[in-house]
Amino acid sequence: MKHFTVIAILVASLLALLPASAQNTPPPITLTLAGYAVPREAYDEIIPLFQQYWLAETGQQVNILESYQASGAQSRAIAGGLEADVAALSSEPDITRLVDAGLVNEDWKANEFGGIAADSLVVFAVRPGNPLGINDWVDVIQDGVEVITPDPATSGGAQWNILGGYGAAWRGFVPGYEGEEGAAEFLRALATNIAVLDRDGRESFLTFERGIGDVALTYENEVYAGLLAGGEYELIYPQSTIRIENPVAVIDTYVDAHGTREVAEAFVNFLWSEDAQRVFANHGFRPVNPVVRAELGIFENGAGAAAEATPAAEPSSIEHNPLIAFPPVTDEFTTLDIGGWPQARTQVFGEAGLFTQIIAEVQGR
Amino acid sequence: MREIKPRSPLALLLIGIAVLYAVVLFAAPLVAIIYGAFKDGIDPIIETLTDPAVLHAFEVSIGLALGAVLINTIFGLVTAWVLVRQKFRGRGLFDTLIDIPFVFSPVIAGYAMIVLFGRGGWLAPPLFPIVFALPGILLAKTFVSLPFITREVQPVLGALSLEPEYAAYTLGASRWATFRRVILPELWTALLYGIVLTFARAVGEFGAVAVVGGNIEGYTETATSFVFRAMNDRNSTGAYVVSLILCLVSLLILFLMNLLRRRMVVSRG
Repeated sequence: MKHFTVIAILVASLLALLPASAQNTPPPITLTLAGYAVPREAYDEIIPLFQQYWLAETGQQVNILESYQASGAQSRAIAGGLEADVAALSSEPDITRLVDAGLVNEDWKANEFGGIAADSLVVFAVRPGNPLGINDWVDVIQDGVEVITPDPATSGGAQWNILGGYGAAWRGFVPGYEGEEGAAEFLRALATNIAVLDRDGRESFLTFERGIGDVALTYENEVYAGLLAGGEYELIYPQSTIRIENPVAVIDTYVDAHGTREVAEAFVNFLWSEDAQRVFANHGFRPVNPVVRAELGIFENGAGAAAEATPAAEPSSIEHNPLIAFPPVTDEFTTLDIGGWPQARTQVFGEAGLFTQIIAEVQGR
Repeated sequence: MREIKPRSPLALLLIGIAVLYAVVLFAAPLVAIIYGAFKDGIDPIIETLTDPAVLHAFEVSIGLALGAVLINTIFGLVTAWVLVRQKFRGRGLFDTLIDIPFVFSPVIAGYAMIVLFGRGGWLAPPLFPIVFALPGILLAKTFVSLPFITREVQPVLGALSLEPEYAAYTLGASRWATFRRVILPELWTALLYGIVLTFARAVGEFGAVAVVGGNIEGYTETATSFVFRAMNDRNSTGAYVVSLILCLVSLLILFLMNLLRRRMVVSRG
């Protein structure tokens, strides 16, 4: 009887201790990030920052598994069962596919930044000295200019590139190709000049880097990544171009299945922190956090005065790379200015879409 | 006896073409890979070979290739046996179907697996994931390397005389003992040859594995998908170093195969 009491007390006290000790050192948690091909270097820097932050906040270690491939392919993989907790893709339709599949809640854009992790612009990369004098969209469609851009069927980046030229023409910045009809003609001329359609943005730009083509349609951040790695080409800003908006979302169905919602949401929110945004900027992405935008002198069109109201930044260990600048362009437009993504998705890139048909025609010659 | 006639110009031309073809297709890329791996000195090589992601990728590639070998050895032997010794309706069709992995694009096979085993698929697994996880990669590697063992063992088994088997039965040996001590010794060389080919094919597979695995670093990334990723990351040294190791593995396999082929010629001839 005596023994029984002692054992009972021991067991009871152990049971009382267990939850407490479990709270002190929570078991490590694993998060899977599925990204598009291009921002890998930025995430390689942001992830350790987040791991430190999460450890300091909660005492929990977080391991992050990463997968990167073309945005469209990645989106289809997630829809097909790649159980990532967070999707960082290159354009809204690739997240919309996950919403349609019932994996991401419809309210994923309902935050201060509209679900966008970082911006960029569609720009041109040309050979050193710009031998063909390619300075604007109209120069890209001249006879004999070889254009490199990824395949819009797999790459979100490619869709941005095509919409950049399409919108610039529509908005009257390509002489001879103005308005909706002119923009369609512009796409036809552009498609004729496309030399290689790669699978994703990075592959496409590496093709250009290896000496193929006269001009690469690409992201501003992609050119900066190449220039920082020692690439030799020039970055050209057209007068009118589209603002690329790279969305990020927690994949609700999967985080709920994994029990990782809290840490996944913290990770996504961390992407908008000043430090993470500075890392994005150092990899050539235009930050979306107003404080970091102000530091870099990026203002909305005609919104320079409003920027003075932005609060001063906290001191940070991350310094801006002086080699990277984000100059304004004459006409920076967004997808909303040309009808929004749902319209672009069906009318330009869908099965019966304008560009899909033009590419089929041009390649079938 | 050898070389009675001097070589004709045509023979010289053919020799030249064959050698040139081999040099251009095999030797030149190998030299390029060796050059690429060593051009920045030894440090990047050590860095690559100590990178946990690279080590993990090799583990996945080699471990799951061995798994594919194990599965295909068992099922390959059974299939060969059935095709040679059993008569049944549709055997000819079955015999043809074994070669499907040789003619099917691996990428398409990968997509088919996602449709079958992925989210909402007909055979979506209830307990643990298959696609975008290691079981999917094992399945992909098994699929692409499926025909080799059957195809190597089948002709040898077909050529075996039945008399030693009957003799063993008559002397009271069990079925298993007969298989192990009478039939298997005859099959060994062909089986080993099939195993080596299966392993080589399973280690080298890229398309199906990339589609089915989702290339999650440190989890479903294989050595071949690491090479692809490293190229995209402008980490060309990493890509060359891992390629070089894969080449060395292939060369080793090649020598093994040569050795086995000689044994086969001796034992058959």
